[in-house]
Amino acid sequence: MTIYQIAVSNLKRRRKKVLFLLLGLVVGVSTVVGLLTIVRAMRLELGDRIDEFGANIVITPRAKGAALNYGGVHVSDVTFGAERLTEADLPKIDTIPERKSINIISPKIVGAVDTGGQKALLVGVETKREFTQKPWFSLREQARLPAGANPGSLSLLDVPADGLVAGFAAARTLGVGAGDSLTLNGRPFQVFGVLNETGGREDGVLYANLAVAQGLLGRPGEFSLIEISAYCNFCPVEEIAAQLSSALPNGRVTPLRQAALFREETIDNFASFGFALSGVVLLVAALMVLTTMLASVGERTREIGIFRALGFRQAHIVRIIFLEAGLVSFLAGLLGYLLGSAAALLAGPYLAQLQGTVPLRTDLILPAVLLSTVLAVAASTYPALKAARLDPAEALRFI
Amino acid sequence: MADVMIALRELKKTYGSADGEVHALRGVTLDINKGEAVAVMGHSGSGKSTLLSIIGALNPPSSGSIEIDGIDIYALSQERRADFRREYLGFVFQQFQLIPYLTALENVLLPLVTTSLPGRRKRELAEQVLCRVGLAGKMNRLPNALSGGEQERVAIARAIVNAPPVLLADEPTGNLDTKTGEEIMALFRELNQDGLTVLMVTHNPDNTRHMGRTIVLKDGLLCQDKAEILSLAAGRGQRRGG
Repeated sequence: MTIYQIAVSNLKRRRKKVLFLLLGLVVGVSTVVGLLTIVRAMRLELGDRIDEFGANIVITPRAKGAALNYGGVHVSDVTFGAERLTEADLPKIDTIPERKSINIISPKIVGAVDTGGQKALLVGVETKREFTQKPWFSLREQARLPAGANPGSLSLLDVPADGLVAGFAAARTLGVGAGDSLTLNGRPFQVFGVLNETGGREDGVLYANLAVAQGLLGRPGEFSLIEISAYCNFCPVEEIAAQLSSALPNGRVTPLRQAALFREETIDNFASFGFALSGVVLLVAALMVLTTMLASVGERTREIGIFRALGFRQAHIVRIIFLEAGLVSFLAGLLGYLLGSAAALLAGPYLAQLQGTVPLRTDLILPAVLLSTVLAVAASTYPALKAARLDPAEALRFI
Repeated sequence: MADVMIALRELKKTYGSADGEVHALRGVTLDINKGEAVAVMGHSGSGKSTLLSIIGALNPPSSGSIEIDGIDIYALSQERRADFRREYLGFVFQQFQLIPYLTALENVLLPLVTTSLPGRRKRELAEQVLCRVGLAGKMNRLPNALSGGEQERVAIARAIVNAPPVLLADEPTGNLDTKTGEEIMALFRELNQDGLTVLMVTHNPDNTRHMGRTIVLKDGLLCQDKAEILSLAAGRGQRRGG
């Protein structure tokens, strides 16, 4: 016979009360586990789908110059001094600790070209990377397309060396369409395709292959900017930007607020609401433990008096009450984890509009059990002390 | 001169109530020797149970002194007093006071739970005392599966399992029929003959035959009136409780 066995025997005797206590704690723990599992799934999915949201870091040369504006980012057109971004800088990006969080690196050269009387903004890109990074770009016209065929997906098409992709506004201004010829700085090109209107500044741009544009602008091997799509589940984009800044002292690294961040904010808001809700549920669970344990102590006054008369110290009485709360809450922690995980698996995709499955979070088993146990033991402190301080003579009706 | 086990000096106990103060004990001086068996009698409200609870280290007196085996028990801290109860005192309560969800064996094991004895030794001791009180075959029964007499035996076994020098009993035969009561009293006498100091509160004058000495409390004082004592011992003026 041990104090542990006394606690277990008492729990077995009070099955309804134990069930009530268990239920309260299970609801609290499962809410927290379910929400944490869903929030993690949302963050993971955001990481997996980052390329849908475009670049969120832009690197430009750290240099003084007359800036051109591209997509809201100042791009130095005329540089003077040693600060330039070149092909030698690309391997440096691979050296940063958070390299695994980078999805797409798209270097580009930007410059003004003469189209025979009119100036236009030419952007040299590695076309597949660029158009993968910006999936909202699509072709409205494509050269050499058989009659009745639809334009292909930009991210899958090879733009020929003498080919151009014209933004919607640029094509209209220059009066060209797919298949038309266009001379840039004296060199002939064919318009490979015309983009659908995006409403952005990209509409006024001509896109060409990176190496061709570098040659045309007289800046071989040089970049005006490097756009990067990065997402880290556990660190802010600013952290990655800081690492890039260290790796590329000649570059100015700018993290951008955009769709991915908006999505992240949505997740953060969902998480904040969820945690507030969990807090309320846990508070209710704690109050349930407090009232149930107080009622239990009240019912057991005489029994506690007997224990005290038989030589149990106050500390022994406290230990019995804590053990009872601890045993129930340990079980509640495990059940709460299972129920919360099951709820996240089943309801998560609908609740958080997730496209994939919700991964189980086995790392939450221990925290769930700890949360439940700490909560129950903390809520049992007052009833336990009250039990320990019972006057044994009064409890045994000697008075 | 025999060794004194329990020494009470001018023991007083006053309770406050809505109607004013109640003087449960008003100056009791008494020595109980080692190995003595003493019956405490008195009318309801005479202070019998209060006296027992004070000697039981459960209820501090308002004034006066009490020593058990030379230890001033109310000079001890609460926790040390709990240790003292476990080591020095065995309690047999009115209405048995068994824990309903524990078996007879588990109930008897209770005073040993907080000792440092090995588990097997504790079990051996509990089984031995249960055999001694005649419950060898009923150790694993819950209290509600035992008769009143058997429950009383479990309560006695629980009181003596830790081999205390003093056994305190509060109306131990109050809920038993005459025959079972006699058997229980014979058990108390046997324990006393083994050297245990026994102090028993009782309202049954027949029980005094098994005890070496009878004291009578009246209005919180030891009664010196021989006629009163004889009257109680003869069963007149018998009342329950106290």
